[in-house]
Amino acid sequence: MDQSNDLSTLRMVGISKRFPGVLANDNIDFEVKAGQVHGILGENGAGKTTLMKILYGLHQPDSGEIFLNGKKVEIHSPKAAGDLGIGMVHQHFMLIENLTALENVVLGLPTKHPPLLDLEPARNRFNELTKEYDLHLTPSSPVWSLPVGDQQWLEILKLLFRNAKLLILDEPTAVLAPKQAKQLLSTVRRFAQEGRAIIFISHKLEEMKEVVDCVTVLRDGHVVGTVDPKEVQSAQLAQMMVGRDVFLDRRERAPYKDKKEVLVIEHLDCLNDRKLPALRKIDLTVKSGEIVGVAGVDGNGQRELAECITGLRQFTGGTIHINQKPVDGVINDTTLLGYIPEDRHKTGLVLKFTVEENLILKTFEELPYTKRGIIQWHEIRQKADALIKEYDIRTPNSMVPVNHLSGGNQQKVVVARELSNKPALLISSQPTRGLDLGAVESVHNFLLKERNRGAAVLFISTELSEVLTLSDRIIVMFNGEIMGDLNAEKVDVNLIGELMLGHREGLEATP
Amino acid sequence: MNYKINKLDSTRLLDIGGLVLSGGRPILAIILAFLVSAVMIIIQGANPLEAYSAMLRGSFGSVAALANTCVRAAPLLLGGLGVALGVKAGLLNVGIEGQIYVGGSAAAAVGIMPIPVAPWLHLVLAVSAGFLGGAIWGLIPAYLKAYRGVSEIVVTLMLNYVGIQLCSLLVHEPSPLAEKGAFFPQSPPILASAQLPILIKGTSLHLGIILGLIAAIILAYVLFYTPFGMRTKMIGQNPEAARYAGVNVKKQTVVALILSCGLGGLAGTGEVLGLKLRLFDYFSGGLGYDAIAVALMANSNPVGVIFSALFFGALRAGAGKMETAVGIKAPIVQVIQALAVLFVIMIGFVEYNRKSKQDKRKEQMPEDTIYGSELNK
Repeated sequence: MDQSNDLSTLRMVGISKRFPGVLANDNIDFEVKAGQVHGILGENGAGKTTLMKILYGLHQPDSGEIFLNGKKVEIHSPKAAGDLGIGMVHQHFMLIENLTALENVVLGLPTKHPPLLDLEPARNRFNELTKEYDLHLTPSSPVWSLPVGDQQWLEILKLLFRNAKLLILDEPTAVLAPKQAKQLLSTVRRFAQEGRAIIFISHKLEEMKEVVDCVTVLRDGHVVGTVDPKEVQSAQLAQMMVGRDVFLDRRERAPYKDKKEVLVIEHLDCLNDRKLPALRKIDLTVKSGEIVGVAGVDGNGQRELAECITGLRQFTGGTIHINQKPVDGVINDTTLLGYIPEDRHKTGLVLKFTVEENLILKTFEELPYTKRGIIQWHEIRQKADALIKEYDIRTPNSMVPVNHLSGGNQQKVVVARELSNKPALLISSQPTRGLDLGAVESVHNFLLKERNRGAAVLFISTELSEVLTLSDRIIVMFNGEIMGDLNAEKVDVNLIGELMLGHREGLEATP
Repeated sequence: MNYKINKLDSTRLLDIGGLVLSGGRPILAIILAFLVSAVMIIIQGANPLEAYSAMLRGSFGSVAALANTCVRAAPLLLGGLGVALGVKAGLLNVGIEGQIYVGGSAAAAVGIMPIPVAPWLHLVLAVSAGFLGGAIWGLIPAYLKAYRGVSEIVVTLMLNYVGIQLCSLLVHEPSPLAEKGAFFPQSPPILASAQLPILIKGTSLHLGIILGLIAAIILAYVLFYTPFGMRTKMIGQNPEAARYAGVNVKKQTVVALILSCGLGGLAGTGEVLGLKLRLFDYFSGGLGYDAIAVALMANSNPVGVIFSALFFGALRAGAGKMETAVGIKAPIVQVIQALAVLFVIMIGFVEYNRKSKQDKRKEQMPEDTIYGSELNK
């Protein structure tokens, strides 16, 4: 049991893990020592989360070995990881809202006198720990009543309570206010001084520099290198993260002549679902006949931006105009706005509805689909058949429930519906997520066709390469702000990488 | 190209299989329920075949029996439709019982009032009052659900007790609806002009079952052929997508739940204006709860609700005959009824598991096999 007390090094050697269609980890070597904060940096999909899940026993590697203090270990479950002294704070909290803080902490731990639950010793320990680390947590308060910052601390307290020697923190500051984040970072340093090892995943370069001893950069499932962030330039780190040997060709396009402003956003502020600021004074204009790509690490305000523009989210300040019309509610006019939402299962489709029902989801009340209050199914079927042909949706017929279609074809249903009325503005949020190459290509083609028709296209993606391929202009979002507005024709990828990490200096250096 | 044709066929087959199963599911469940109940009948020392055939005679064996079945099915049909409409909108209205009492009370209030209008108009007014009574009663859970996020299940369930006691209050003096000096808490009789007409002389078969059939057909039509029905199904299936498509989810929730409760009110109206001909204390005796089972059994398909209501009605109508013929006590039909619903749910569950296993297998296939790789080349 107490082997956890002498964790000095943890080594992962040759870790590979393949998921259907993607090699998430490719022969990764990674080492972390006690007393060290080890950062991990990488784009979305670079393989960080997979690697950590392997370390925490949630995934089993296809090949590779893990050594604890030089001794080979097998981690089959989070429980096994816990027994070895490994603890993890997930990006999405693993707390039970209806239980109290203390109950959450002791959950899963053996009690002294089973089947009775004696919370008193645990309560004392809880109070000792909160005092020691200067945390303001009350053991008896239910978790749902705690602010997000405190929930984060509670997660960390859970690990301390179990006396974890290796702490994995996955973007721990993402939900914290700046002041709380500062306290967290200094506590992380303190953990290291106490002889614990910490793996620190973050996308914020500044806090990386502040807290980590060394940082390992991952890209496309490989280790690019391990460096000391205080010694290397930010630009170099960014290059390690986003730099690509093979670069996808930019898609050819003719300049669009008749440009006019379609989407005008001024000083836009809004809150996210946790009531924290998600957008801070955003100004953005998108013109007809251009694709504006939005680059950035996931969760920096992109989703909220799309939802504000489409009227699905109320904003707290600023204005949005589409073709001079202010946005003040969900926009119903499919000739004005097309919106391909980020999550087609949750938002874009009614999965149990048929293909044809989904194709007219927004227009079924309009002529000719509804006449004198009666839905005209034959009109709908005709339209659906035409769209199925035009957008090459692979389905036996239009009356099949849409959840019987493959992911790519489901997305084509969304695309067909949103584009069929030739919207002036198209908001496209992660439209290729989870699609295979062929489907990605065809979605790209549709977007480009819209641009050439004269639509204003806002293209949000966390895949930098497709933003580079498709955009006329690129904006980079970080922490709810637009870090830079760049011409995509002659953009420096490394500069985008820096901006994605919240580092603006590169922008000022280049004119 | 070969794989594409395979894909086509397999999808179609799956659909046909699903269709057959959705119709066959309740029938299979009923058979299983009768089989299990047969064991209980044997334990009680009777021959289940005799018992069932007596039950069959009692429910379908004569005009009177058939009329009895329909009379008993009528409130279950209207109440079941109410539940079904709610389910389509993603709402579980378990308050039909309360709505029966409130709707019945409203209908009775108009029905005992000597209004100087044509008799048919008096009837229409009384029936409308019954529907409105239920609908207005439904405003409470509808508002709380749509604008305050309170579970409609809890609210409608709790309101049952309130509705039952409200009716009780109305038939006790000094309520204006209570009959003066009666031995039993009841209202004065419904005036002849407000009574639902009897369809077959010599039986108690009243217009209620026809009202139910019309309501079922209208509901089926509305759900499939009107934008209102489309919106209702959208908020039931995926409220987030409905909002994204421009549906006012709150408003739709309110309207759907009100109509659902109105149907519950109609169920009570039929009982009061057609069968009891007075407002009595506790006149429903649990019809509203059985209505939930009726809707569940039919998977909330309005046309299916007709059949499941008739089935439930037939069980009740046949129970008496069975009791006199073989001496098995009538409550066995409630066992049969409960088992049938349980089996429907169980079969549905087995089916769901089988299907999700299939889906998983499909997902594991790489996309290219489903996808034309020639598509972009």
